[in-house]
Amino acid sequence: MAVADVSLQVFAGEIVGLIGPNGAGKSTLFKVIAGIDRPTSGAVEFNGNPIAGKRADRVCRLGVASTHQLVRPFPYMSVLENVMVGAFFGRVPRPHSPRAAREIAFEALQFCGLEGRAGDAARMLTLAGRKRLEIARALATGPVVVLLDEVLAGLNPTETDRTLELMRAIVARGVTIVIVEHNLRAVRGLCSRIAVMAQGRKIADGDPATVLADANVIAAYLGTAPQ
Amino acid sequence: MDTLSTLISAILVAGLYATMSYGLALIYGVLKIVNLANAGFLMIGAYATWWMWTAFGFNPLLAPLVIVPVFFLIGIAMERTMIQRVVDQEPIISLLLLFGVWLVLQNVAYLLFTGDTRSITIPLTDAVYQRGDIVIPWARVYVFAVGTLALVAMQLFLTRTQLGRAIRSIAQDRDAARLVGIDVKRVNAIAFGLGIALLGLGGSLLSLLYSFDPDFGRTLTLKSFCIVVLGGLESFVGVAFGSIALALAEAFGLRYMPASLQNLISFVLLVVVLIAFPKGIAGLLRRRSGV
Amino acid sequence: MSRVQVAGPLIAAAALLCAVAVPFAFPHAEYVLDVLFLIFLYGAMSAAWNIIGGFAGQISFGHAAFLGVGAYATMILWGEGWSPWATLPVAGGLAAIFSILVGVPSFRLRGPYFSIATIGIGEATRLVALNWSKLTGGASGLTMAAGPPPQIQYLSALAVCVAAFGISWWIVQSRFGFALAAIKQDTDAAQTLGVDTTLFKTLALALSAALVGIAGSIYAMHYLYVSPDSVFGFSTAIALVIMPIIGGVGTVWGPLIGAVVYTFIREQFAVKLANADLLAFGLLLVAIVLFEPKGIVGAWGSVMARRAFRKRAAGVAARG
Repeated sequence: MAVADVSLQVFAGEIVGLIGPNGAGKSTLFKVIAGIDRPTSGAVEFNGNPIAGKRADRVCRLGVASTHQLVRPFPYMSVLENVMVGAFFGRVPRPHSPRAAREIAFEALQFCGLEGRAGDAARMLTLAGRKRLEIARALATGPVVVLLDEVLAGLNPTETDRTLELMRAIVARGVTIVIVEHNLRAVRGLCSRIAVMAQGRKIADGDPATVLADANVIAAYLGTAPQ
Repeated sequence: MDTLSTLISAILVAGLYATMSYGLALIYGVLKIVNLANAGFLMIGAYATWWMWTAFGFNPLLAPLVIVPVFFLIGIAMERTMIQRVVDQEPIISLLLLFGVWLVLQNVAYLLFTGDTRSITIPLTDAVYQRGDIVIPWARVYVFAVGTLALVAMQLFLTRTQLGRAIRSIAQDRDAARLVGIDVKRVNAIAFGLGIALLGLGGSLLSLLYSFDPDFGRTLTLKSFCIVVLGGLESFVGVAFGSIALALAEAFGLRYMPASLQNLISFVLLVVVLIAFPKGIAGLLRRRSGV
Repeated sequence: MSRVQVAGPLIAAAALLCAVAVPFAFPHAEYVLDVLFLIFLYGAMSAAWNIIGGFAGQISFGHAAFLGVGAYATMILWGEGWSPWATLPVAGGLAAIFSILVGVPSFRLRGPYFSIATIGIGEATRLVALNWSKLTGGASGLTMAAGPPPQIQYLSALAVCVAAFGISWWIVQSRFGFALAAIKQDTDAAQTLGVDTTLFKTLALALSAALVGIAGSIYAMHYLYVSPDSVFGFSTAIALVIMPIIGGVGTVWGPLIGAVVYTFIREQFAVKLANADLLAFGLLLVAIVLFEPKGIVGAWGSVMARRAFRKRAAGVAARG
């Protein structure tokens, strides 16, 4: 899946929505930023420093955390232990002991409303729980920016609202969010800015109301030629 | 002309390597497991041929006619009883299972046939085609011919028959195949059976060229793996390419180093390839997830 | 396999004390000393393998290479006049360095492909040892006339065993162990959460190789003979894999249990019929994979869990 020509800037404190039809290259873009894939050309800069091509673990420690589209908790760890991985390894400075890591992890769980399930096996969580676990894991790494990949997919309206609340709380804490989403209503209410991708290119970028009314954007989703 | 001899010989061996490796590729492609018992089945194929020859005077050249169907059935039986249960688990589990199977096969062979080296000598073994300085053993030509025939037959089966197409769809996307109504369980069994049958055939052909003992298949498994890394698991063409590359490297390497080191070549090649192409060849080394 | 309940430290200390006492209490029980020696040595090797194979989930079929490097290093230097004990750190160090050299490229491979590559590593090392006659004595190998007395050998095997299990026990509770568990369960996720997976895998392998190398040294001192087939051979490689799996791969004590089972089966079978022991191991491996992948420790754990479940269910029923 190619991302051909995208230029995207994100400023601190924003919640940027990245939308577009399937196959537009949104997840690929995330993977390139997170260091999972290498770009063949172009640059990724974080706080003015180039990070393109850096290994995923380095990118995480630099402050860019990401979640997966397909939630995969560590199957044989508890909920708390899952988050401890993020705390132990993705966080700078490193927690100096398992107890310190546990505290950070627990705090992240509390923030995400999962502290009651801390000791449970991670694979026992419902989908909504797993999604929040993904977020907690990312938060435990002490990120500056979090890339959330379809974190609302598969959630019912109540769960969706709870997650939206969570995301607002995250931004209130000073963490910037970039979110790939298909739920346009949620995105409209949540994001300060929306960028639209289609077929590997960015086709719109601006405030939600304008972008969602843009004829090209509508066409990209519906597949008809613009008026 | 010595070079030409070597070249032709290498290509002939490549055909054999391809036959061995195709079984590995087929089983991985459909069931997504690595058949570590590759070596064991090759070895049993060789022993079966030898045994039929020594016990009943059965012509080793005709052995494949018996071995292929028998091994096919054995493969299906194995799949039904053991493989099915581990197919959906972590790859380590199937790896260890097949490793265990290999151990069992190897040591049953030791017990039945002892560790003595066996070989098959028939008039064909020593017959050569000679023109000027070119020397080509007929046995190798035979092996190449049968091997290539088998591979062509497999390829036709995979592309022209419904069952073959079912196999290919599962290899591409198991869930999608299931949705279209393909009986994945049944096809898995058949694919595995075919893979084992190919190994039996490979072993039988090998017995015509080399002497063997129960430890036989191990180096060959390594070579198959090397071939698959070089050429990619995705297609017959990939396996053919890898086989030729390896056979050539070995044949020409033989001229410069002692025979006992020959097997090192495949390993060295493997390491070189891994270092030179860190991103890997095809999807083999890194599984990329998602879109 | 996140956390393992460790047997009370008191029990372990008591067992250790008994073990140390054996050669002093029974100075002439040669057979017992020999069997225990083997159990401790195999236990050490098994625990060492478990660090990379069990904790980190990277199944290596080529660990014999590291064993052999250690064994040969000791034999060669010993032959040059070194004290055999002085060769121990060298053996461990060389094995570790070797493991890093072959490990780093191999770790580019995932799961089963890594395992197959390790078969190649083992085989290649054996071939090199076979052909580099000037250094290794080729096919005939190297011998020494006499080694340390059995009591000292016993204690050294015990020491390596304690070291190996002590390290395993520490790992399971440490940040390092956490990284390995994450890598084992989901390498990609671990990487995105900040785990430098290649580094940790390499460290685990180097540690594992060093321990196995030192065990190889003691092996050499015991058998006074090394040859490419005896130390680099596939049956050695198999043993290193089988033991932890039978006992319980990824647990702390599984490798020890596996070593006991292995020694027992070998003593019983190999004497009667060559290769029958390997056949038994093959069948055991198949059975374990199909029915109880967590080995003996796992089977025990299942029994315990079922008892706990039944108790809980009975409690709920009583309340409800």
